[in-house]
Amino acid sequence: MARTETPARIARRLESSRRWFSLVPPEGVPIRFEIAGLAARFGAQLLDILITVVIMAAIIIVLAFLPFDIEPVVTSLAAILLLMIRAPYYILTELFWNGQTIGKRATGLRVLGADGRGLTTHAVVARNLMKEVEIFMPGTLLLASGGLGLFWNLVLTLWIAVVLIVPLANRKRQRLGDLIANTYVMVGPKSVLLPDLSSSTPTDAFDFTPAQLEHYGRFELQTLESLLRTETTTQGSGERRRESLIQVAAQIRRKIGYEAAVPDSRVEEFLHAFYTAQRAFLEQKRIFGDVRDDKHHRADSPFNHQASNHQASNHQASNHQASHKGRT
Amino acid sequence: MSEVQPIRSTRFRAEREADWRALEALVKRVETQGSHRLSFEESRALAELYRKAATSLSVARDISLDQNLLIYLESLVARAFLSVYAPQESLSGVIGRFFGGSASAAVRRSGMAILMAFLALALGGWLAAMLFAQDPAWFYTFVPGGLAGDRGPGASTETLRAGLFSTEANLLGQLGAFAAYLFSHNTRVALFSFALGVFACVPSLLLTLYNGLILGAFWGLYADRGLGVELFGWLSIHGVTELSALALAAAGGFRLGLAILFPGGMTRKDSLRAASKDAVKLALVASLMLLVAGLLEGFGRQLVTDTTLRITIGWGIGALWLAWFMLAGRRAR
Repeated sequence: MARTETPARIARRLESSRRWFSLVPPEGVPIRFEIAGLAARFGAQLLDILITVVIMAAIIIVLAFLPFDIEPVVTSLAAILLLMIRAPYYILTELFWNGQTIGKRATGLRVLGADGRGLTTHAVVARNLMKEVEIFMPGTLLLASGGLGLFWNLVLTLWIAVVLIVPLANRKRQRLGDLIANTYVMVGPKSVLLPDLSSSTPTDAFDFTPAQLEHYGRFELQTLESLLRTETTTQGSGERRRESLIQVAAQIRRKIGYEAAVPDSRVEEFLHAFYTAQRAFLEQKRIFGDVRDDKHHRADSPFNHQASNHQASNHQASNHQASHKGRT
Repeated sequence: MSEVQPIRSTRFRAEREADWRALEALVKRVETQGSHRLSFEESRALAELYRKAATSLSVARDISLDQNLLIYLESLVARAFLSVYAPQESLSGVIGRFFGGSASAAVRRSGMAILMAFLALALGGWLAAMLFAQDPAWFYTFVPGGLAGDRGPGASTETLRAGLFSTEANLLGQLGAFAAYLFSHNTRVALFSFALGVFACVPSLLLTLYNGLILGAFWGLYADRGLGVELFGWLSIHGVTELSALALAAAGGFRLGLAILFPGGMTRKDSLRAASKDAVKLALVASLMLLVAGLLEGFGRQLVTDTTLRITIGWGIGALWLAWFMLAGRRAR
């Protein structure tokens, strides 16, 4: 039988296509961070460039009101001012705002030291000095590329190609400066704690036997969780949600062989009760080393090992413990 | 079944939720106002609550299937980590450390690489002077046309002398000269010899050698016309600083290249990272020196036309640099 891709596997593939990395702080609990996409980083960079150019232009305008004739030197003056504003701007903002320039703040990005011990001054200086070589020098040359010869245009093309290929080629989207400074750029996490679904359950309404809880795994449970957490704002969407709850409840009852009738008015109550019972059941199994990632967990046993690394290692650890106990 | 106990992960959450909320409030304050606004007790609470939350996360990953809870804890611990391990630097601290020892220590550690750079410069200079003595046509081989200007073997001795002692009275003209200088030949050479050092030192070595060649060709030309001492004075006032900056930048490149060539017991990536700590400081010192050299060239050389005074100022400032490199931060080590 050809294996088709199960919904759980699709979900996992989508999850892994967002790029994550784990960082182990001195406390020893790995923390997951999401790698920033190139589009967001480009946006942040654009905003920062805009800010520095505006500051530079403001200074030039002020200078223009002084009784000097700055016209003959205005280009080189602008270039120097830009350099002298730009380098301290990036270094100081990233150092004092914990890895965020104004552009990164606006796009919700942050620079992070990869060794789990916070950003160091050296890392910030190194990655921003490399930024001069990586972005600003080829950028300035590109603006002047018309006046360059063929040879230098080729060099410039090669240069830009290398600078672009490096972050595209590595999984963690590090540019050269990030590689040397050992930093990542990540998306700032946001945290929202919603009420626990299991605690809001009336206790005596529905009962499930262990056999009825054998059918589903983690993926189905968490899908049900997100369905139950769906918020409705308008009349129409509330209506649609009610309908899908009724359908899902019917499907679950058919699958697990739940005999008693559930009136439409109590369907949400039923799903809450089922969610609680199923979660308690699966968590219990999990503590004893039986990790059920989705409903195919038995038919498709190598699957468990492909589960997210963390769960797989958990599983192995508990197996190991079990065999250890067996020996002693 | 009228009284069912809440399931394990629900109890787990109920016991710890207050701590998480407290941590979230603290983290939010650090994110908006900065960690220096917290009181002593609050900072201590932040560190303690962060460790508790990290433990909660570790446990929750094992026992809970509540997706929202897991996502919440992941992000809360991540944010708390960022708040706890934020860099605690002050501007005066960073600058003080750089000038007070870390930069000079990096220079001292890079003695070999700096020697290498100076040797390459000297070798280039000697080579070009020798070749020029045999045949002045070599001048055009070494010196790019734009840099030579009207100074060449064809120019009269008087033109050459006038070039050495020209005075721009106009302040803005000096500013322009300064500006033009910063993007001039030597700055580019310094930048490239630093950045390209990564490619196994070769480009840096060639660039430094080439700069030596240009210098040697000029030297040969002026010495030929009996203007050797005057050229020495003209070069000294900014050149001591500028050529040292060039050498330091190249030395930074060499450190990177050597780290790639001879990583020792480390991987090449780690070795490069370790060397970059010194190399970055060398680059910063070099850019500072180039800035000073630009000021000296733009203003000092035009204002001071006496050769002896030029030599004194140039080498005096050179001695100051040397004193900084050799002495700063020594006692601390």
